[in-house]
Amino acid sequence: MLPPLRTRLLAVAAGCLMITTPVSAKEQLVLAIGGEPEQGFDPLLGWGQYGNPLFQSTLLSRDANLDLQPELATAWELSDDRLTWIITLRDDARFSDGSALTAMDVAYTFNAAAQAGGRADLSALEEATVLDSQHVALTLHQPRITFVDQLVTLGIVPAASRENGHGEGYGRQPLGSGPYQLVEWQEGEQLIVERNPYFYGQAPAFERLVFLFTGEDTTLNAARTGSVDLAALPPTLANAMPSHMQAVTMQSVDNRGIMFPMRPVQSERAPSGAPVGNDVTADIAIRRAINLALDRQTLVDVVLNGYGRPAFGPADGLPWSHHDEEVKAPDLERAGALLDAAGWQRQDDGLRHKDGQPARFRLTYPAGDSTRQLLAEVSAEMVRPLGIEMQPTGRHWDEIQRLALHQDAVVMGFGSHSPQEVYYLYHSQQAGNGFYNSGYYANPAVDRHLEAAQAAASTHEANRHWQAAQWDGETGYGVRGDASWAWMVNLAHLYAADTCLDTGELGVAPHGHGWPVTANLLEWRWTCD
Amino acid sequence: MKTTQPRLRALVCSSLLALLLLALLYAQWWLGDLPTRMQFEARLAPPGLDHWLGTDALGRELWARTLAGLALSFQVGFLAALLGSAIALGLALLATFSSRLDALISMLIDTLLSVPHLVLLLLIAFALGGGLQAVVIAVAITHWPGLARVLRAELLQLRAAPYIGISRALGKSRGFILLHHFLPHALPHCLVGALLLFPHAILHEAALTFLGVGLSPSQPAIGLLLADAMRYLSGGYWWLGVFPGLGLLLMVLSIERIASSARRAL
Repeated sequence: MLPPLRTRLLAVAAGCLMITTPVSAKEQLVLAIGGEPEQGFDPLLGWGQYGNPLFQSTLLSRDANLDLQPELATAWELSDDRLTWIITLRDDARFSDGSALTAMDVAYTFNAAAQAGGRADLSALEEATVLDSQHVALTLHQPRITFVDQLVTLGIVPAASRENGHGEGYGRQPLGSGPYQLVEWQEGEQLIVERNPYFYGQAPAFERLVFLFTGEDTTLNAARTGSVDLAALPPTLANAMPSHMQAVTMQSVDNRGIMFPMRPVQSERAPSGAPVGNDVTADIAIRRAINLALDRQTLVDVVLNGYGRPAFGPADGLPWSHHDEEVKAPDLERAGALLDAAGWQRQDDGLRHKDGQPARFRLTYPAGDSTRQLLAEVSAEMVRPLGIEMQPTGRHWDEIQRLALHQDAVVMGFGSHSPQEVYYLYHSQQAGNGFYNSGYYANPAVDRHLEAAQAAASTHEANRHWQAAQWDGETGYGVRGDASWAWMVNLAHLYAADTCLDTGELGVAPHGHGWPVTANLLEWRWTCD
Repeated sequence: MKTTQPRLRALVCSSLLALLLLALLYAQWWLGDLPTRMQFEARLAPPGLDHWLGTDALGRELWARTLAGLALSFQVGFLAALLGSAIALGLALLATFSSRLDALISMLIDTLLSVPHLVLLLLIAFALGGGLQAVVIAVAITHWPGLARVLRAELLQLRAAPYIGISRALGKSRGFILLHHFLPHALPHCLVGALLLFPHAILHEAALTFLGVGLSPSQPAIGLLLADAMRYLSGGYWWLGVFPGLGLLLMVLSIERIASSARRAL
């Protein structure tokens, strides 16, 4: 016989409370940092590329200074011809079901990821082969120094051939050797994870993590009521920081800038069918003048509430970027002189014209992104005194891809721990390849530098070539050269954290607000009793 | 007494709307670039003597943006009501031509009325890529059936009237009957229908823009001001939503009152 209705309801309520009530302040951490992956937690489909894979381990990791550190790999060696990486694996790594992680799993992960066509760039990989249970050889088609970045970002999954191996539903039920294992994922609501008892490294301080996937307002309200221990806040709500929480900022190379179409209007279209070219932004004087007119510090103060820093390139402060790329701006006088010299003359309508063409073009931004909208509106105001009209235009992403990507100036964001992104942004072969070189930038000298960087024998040597691509004294993609972008700001990611939570030394985050903050999760501590 | 009260109310609403309209029309003249002018030193300033209704995140005056938004909403509402009424009138007149056409138009009306109009509105606005034109077309397409049904019933009744029969018997053409009998009879109904459609169109424009498939985010539309306000509400910046919302409410209520009065008068 069933118990009375009230008893049953109480039992259900108690059950719910058991799920949601913290085990203890030290044991459970509740985070609302957003970033729920649509494709699930499958590294082969891109999970972990912009942050810590959490459930899986990678072969290597980076510390706060971005130096390489051992993880699953205890040793890694590149052959003299720079075509083969020999990886030595640790012998105590286990998946969260207790089975051992071997070279077979590593080889499977790399081979499958290369075929999966996810976000992991394994185009240089010819084959991953098992040498013995602890050694794997990764053979490349051609030397590529940036291949090492995949050793840092690609989480290792169990080979498909083993029991509980990788398969179609893996993204929803991931099995890995990372510090945590998945307990429950209610899509659109929350993710609950617990310590992996077989994790080879130091056990994390928190037994259980609960990730809430809430909107900005709900997150802030949850932070105010003390329901979350760490909450991601947009810079626009920085002033609304709850009094009982501390502001934690993570510096980043998560940048925003204006991508300029580099070609004049073309008759042919992109492979996607989108129109290509813009007669105004194709003029280098216009692009340089805009770079000189932007007051980047004001953009940081106004749009980001001070949570950020001016940006002058795609990887400011990273070893593969010039440290002296900064330009003295705003300098409207110099910008005006540049335009005068290039034949852009002021007319009665207040705009500059050249050969009957007014200096007017759309500045497109994704309509739902308030930060990019503000950047577009404020930067348009900054260049207006020059006689250039940038028309801020909000569009949906699909509309941007269909219409605007190659013919409008677009407010875009990138930022990676890998210099390979610079190659994608500026190499002519990548022209029209999705969002990367969507402006059809092409400079043979820059191409040569980028190719030399990829084929370099060492990271140090590669960095010299990456920097030369930005500016080699004569040309480059940067502000002193072709000024193919007007980079505006690097965001600082803002979090509201419980005052008892010590998040340790946060590194530099790549593009994406949220998961990157968990990169040093193993260092996090609860400092109160 | 009973008859003067509604008249007084209509008079008050008409005066209020006239004032509002004057302000809106005038606003186009003298506001200039004020709705978009940024004052970085006065960002998110609360209402006060310096900034009457406060400022937004870029220091733009909210009173100017609200007025500009209302003017834009009025424009969209007017165009959508005009287009919707024209479609309704045209099809209602067409329905008097033959019973086959009448059956076809009735079926079209029933079909459209059976679909939730907000869903249809969203789909059409999205398919047309948003913007002023898309909103006007979407509102007009989804809102003509109600008025068309009323007009059709009126005209079919009129078609059976003796003087129409006499007119036919005297050899008057279809065009003559349509222009000199049907149209003058239908126009007052159409005008009231358009007036009733007006506030609907304004609200739908605001809703579509709020949902991101309406006017461009670079235009100071009321829906956009309200959507922006949502982002800052948690920070305690209440004025960003309250004043544009009140302005919209005032305008819609005024028009709705006038339309109701006109309907009663008819």
